[in-house]
Amino acid sequence: MEQRIENIRDFFIVDKKHHAYRQKQLDPLELTRTLEKEHLDDVERAYRRLEWVLSHEQPVVFSDEQITFVRTVCEVPEIFSEREWDTIRQKHRIHEQGKVSNINCGYMSLIDIGTAGKRKEILTARKTYEARHDKQKVAYLDVLLKVLASMEHFSDRYREAAQKAGNTIVEESLSVIPRKKPETMLQALQFFRLIHYCLWASFNYHNTIGRFDQYMYPYYKNDIDAGVLDEHGALMLLEEFFISFNKDSDLYPGMQQGDNGQSIVLGGVDEHGADAFNDLSKLCMKASLELKLIDPKVNLRVHKDTPLALYELGTQMTKQGLGFPQYSNDDVVIPALKRWGYEHKDASNYVVAACWEFIIPEVAMDIVNIDALSFLQCVMDAIETLDDCDTFEQFAKEVRKRLRVRVAQICANTNGIYMEPAPLMSILMNGCIVKAQDIRDGATYNNYGVHGTGLSSAADSLAAIKRYVFEERTVDKQRLLHALSTDFADDAQLLAMLRYDAPKMGNDDDFVDDLATQLLDWFAEAMEGYRNDRGGIFRAGTGSAMYYLWHADELGASPDGRRSKEAFACNFSPSLFARTKGPVSLIKSFSKAHLERVANGGPLTLELHDTMFRSPESIKKVASLVKTYMDLGGMQMQLNGVNRETMLSAQKYPDQYRNLIVRVWGWSGYFVELDKEYQDHIITRMELDM
Amino acid sequence: MKGLLFDIKELAVFDGPGIRTTVFLKGCPLRCSWCHNPEGIDPKPQLMVSYHSCISCGACVLACDTDANANLCTACGTCVPSCPLRLRRIAGQWWEASDLAKELLRNRTILEKNGGGITFSGGEPLLQYAFMLEVIKNLEGLHCAIETSGFASEDVFKTIVDAVDFVIMDLKVIDDAMHRNYCGQSNKPILRNLEYLKRSGVPFMIRIPMIPQVNDSEENLIATADLLGQAEHLVKVELLPYQKTAGAKYEMISEEYRPRFDVKREPNVYTHIFIDRNIVCSVG
Repeated sequence: MEQRIENIRDFFIVDKKHHAYRQKQLDPLELTRTLEKEHLDDVERAYRRLEWVLSHEQPVVFSDEQITFVRTVCEVPEIFSEREWDTIRQKHRIHEQGKVSNINCGYMSLIDIGTAGKRKEILTARKTYEARHDKQKVAYLDVLLKVLASMEHFSDRYREAAQKAGNTIVEESLSVIPRKKPETMLQALQFFRLIHYCLWASFNYHNTIGRFDQYMYPYYKNDIDAGVLDEHGALMLLEEFFISFNKDSDLYPGMQQGDNGQSIVLGGVDEHGADAFNDLSKLCMKASLELKLIDPKVNLRVHKDTPLALYELGTQMTKQGLGFPQYSNDDVVIPALKRWGYEHKDASNYVVAACWEFIIPEVAMDIVNIDALSFLQCVMDAIETLDDCDTFEQFAKEVRKRLRVRVAQICANTNGIYMEPAPLMSILMNGCIVKAQDIRDGATYNNYGVHGTGLSSAADSLAAIKRYVFEERTVDKQRLLHALSTDFADDAQLLAMLRYDAPKMGNDDDFVDDLATQLLDWFAEAMEGYRNDRGGIFRAGTGSAMYYLWHADELGASPDGRRSKEAFACNFSPSLFARTKGPVSLIKSFSKAHLERVANGGPLTLELHDTMFRSPESIKKVASLVKTYMDLGGMQMQLNGVNRETMLSAQKYPDQYRNLIVRVWGWSGYFVELDKEYQDHIITRMELDM
Repeated sequence: MKGLLFDIKELAVFDGPGIRTTVFLKGCPLRCSWCHNPEGIDPKPQLMVSYHSCISCGACVLACDTDANANLCTACGTCVPSCPLRLRRIAGQWWEASDLAKELLRNRTILEKNGGGITFSGGEPLLQYAFMLEVIKNLEGLHCAIETSGFASEDVFKTIVDAVDFVIMDLKVIDDAMHRNYCGQSNKPILRNLEYLKRSGVPFMIRIPMIPQVNDSEENLIATADLLGQAEHLVKVELLPYQKTAGAKYEMISEEYRPRFDVKREPNVYTHIFIDRNIVCSVG
């Protein structure tokens, strides 16, 4: 890494020196109170919020930087008071924070024409609505014009600050953008940073980056051809740009620190099926590898013709222990999206939302995480009928009914969603200007995604019931029901048998894997036929988000030997106490289901010990494993080089980490089975490795 | 024919080319002072217990039929399912050769597609050479490798080397007195078998565990390199520095780890001795 980049990284990331400029005395409630008093409509309020943040910003330009903008306003104000929110909640469902979030906007639709070009577009639409005397539409478009003006004014203040700081590079960039189309890649990146900054300042969140290597490529190519940049120069630029995603990220909303949705998507096929991985994609990988920062989070799109070399590059990234790249398989995802009614062109252009959900840039206002189905809950809903069932098939039918009830409830509960207007986001989304309609009111696609949690626990539970209650008849129904209702308090033997000896998903055992396939099929089938009140469909998925803890916390003991409140596995993975034969059997198990029916998103999550990443040869083998999963028809995968934190947690909660494998020397063992001194030794070793 | 296994490991990335499954055969004629797989030594099934997590509930004692103490354990396995935490297991499962082959072939497509196959390790797999041969026969041409100390009769060694596609062989120490002292056997059969391996035409790799002050001297490595000479099919030499975790499993089989060398010393790792002689060498 170049010294200049290292200095920038140290300044912002290691030493966080820019925090000194943050304005701690500002009161965001002041604006909220004003807005409430003035009884403004929500569109106007949304504009006033952005304007409030931008006008309170105090431009800080550092002498060393080429890409500027840093937050000094710590908190973005709410546009409604708590009392007003209560009123809204009485009539509406509020998803998460009630803001437009977790979609992918068209940055280039603004960058390529500048605010001047965009203003023309808005004025054209305005004329049309003026002629129709549609005051409301005209008023909406006026707000969009004000948003552009605010951005320009804000940018101008930064330009002046750059001039004062003697930073001629930033000053020059800001004298071209945002009004005009950028002349260089540097200016295009600076423009992107401005837009992204303003989206966060608008209280939009999970502002995904999307197919950056595709849409930024013309600027890259132009600079390379014109000799403005060489590859090394481009890498430096990208690195500085990537650092910018980490400057203010502690101020972004999210469930956990780091859960900020800054996903970048690299590679994949274009709409003609040709591989679109280009020189810029490669440089992005390199920048991420060198920086070792958690943002942007890299998603790699792969397909049947993706060379092993790219998986190897990805595996080198995994080795850093950051938990990405995440891989998604075009050969499964694109047909799945088309099956759900997405146009071929749109499906081919899919990107990854904050976590793993597949979304379409510019044309979709999908809410991909509207709710979650707990598979294990469905099994437990049916457990009271066990006594009346003579065959496993009868019981399975009862489970399916309960699942359909839950799905019906989930779908019905999505009606009447209220979201705050998002004028800047609307400027960046296809059709909003022409229709003079805010993106919160919908786009071409308005589908809702529903996660599916606890799949492995549910499949394991069904397998245990099938084997022990109905086939072998070694466990009496009453004994099982009693044990479940008492959390196995007086039946340790049954607990151990169900927990450790019963068939578990992840061992390439059709007996249990087929039950998982069945559950997923039921989920997909139950959702087909429902429509949401925005005209969209419901998409079933295999992701869990935080529900794997929430749902588990609501549930008592289950027939897979899971005790009350014990967590589910995360996403699409074996249960936490399933001991699997190994990664090969595991990827086979998790490629059996009809994943094209449950493609909302949700990866197989694989943990490998970091020594597996030791040599170029072993990295190639791990890469082969990932490629093999995709070749088998896997949809999505994330893998972790297991790190120290996991080990420490495993020491505290050994029972939750029973399948955690560590390579000790020439052999692999279960971490929790090692004596403490050896555990400590490995932890120490990992500290050294990192 | 039946063979005794103490583990089957998927995605063994350090045991030969490609993605491999490694089969660990139980029983070893050597007694290396640094052995990290002690449950692989005894050619009989034996009880293994993770005492570390034991809550002393007593269920295993109640389940034991023999009325004996732990020293007289017959590894009958009765206590295994009695433990509510499943901390007990029998290291050593008897497998019919054809069944084992069938189990291994389940992943055949994946192993072959990724340039891999099966590796037989141990213990010392040559102790069960007849079983191994039968498994190999049943593997229908799937790529097979063996990881061996080379301690076996000439006939046995030749038979197996001729039946596999790749050999990983240990060369612990060249001085015979040192070898007897630290590995419990003379290395004469090993060095004799090495000569056969060199002219067999089968690609092979040499592994040397680097044990401080036992075999990490320049003298020993030069002697090793000289022995290997310019063997045509030698793929590479891998030096494995001793790791302090080697003793982790002894307590589990109720034994004590008693290394007869200074475990606190860092071993020398002289890759240059091999590289200078045009032998590919890396640290594993």
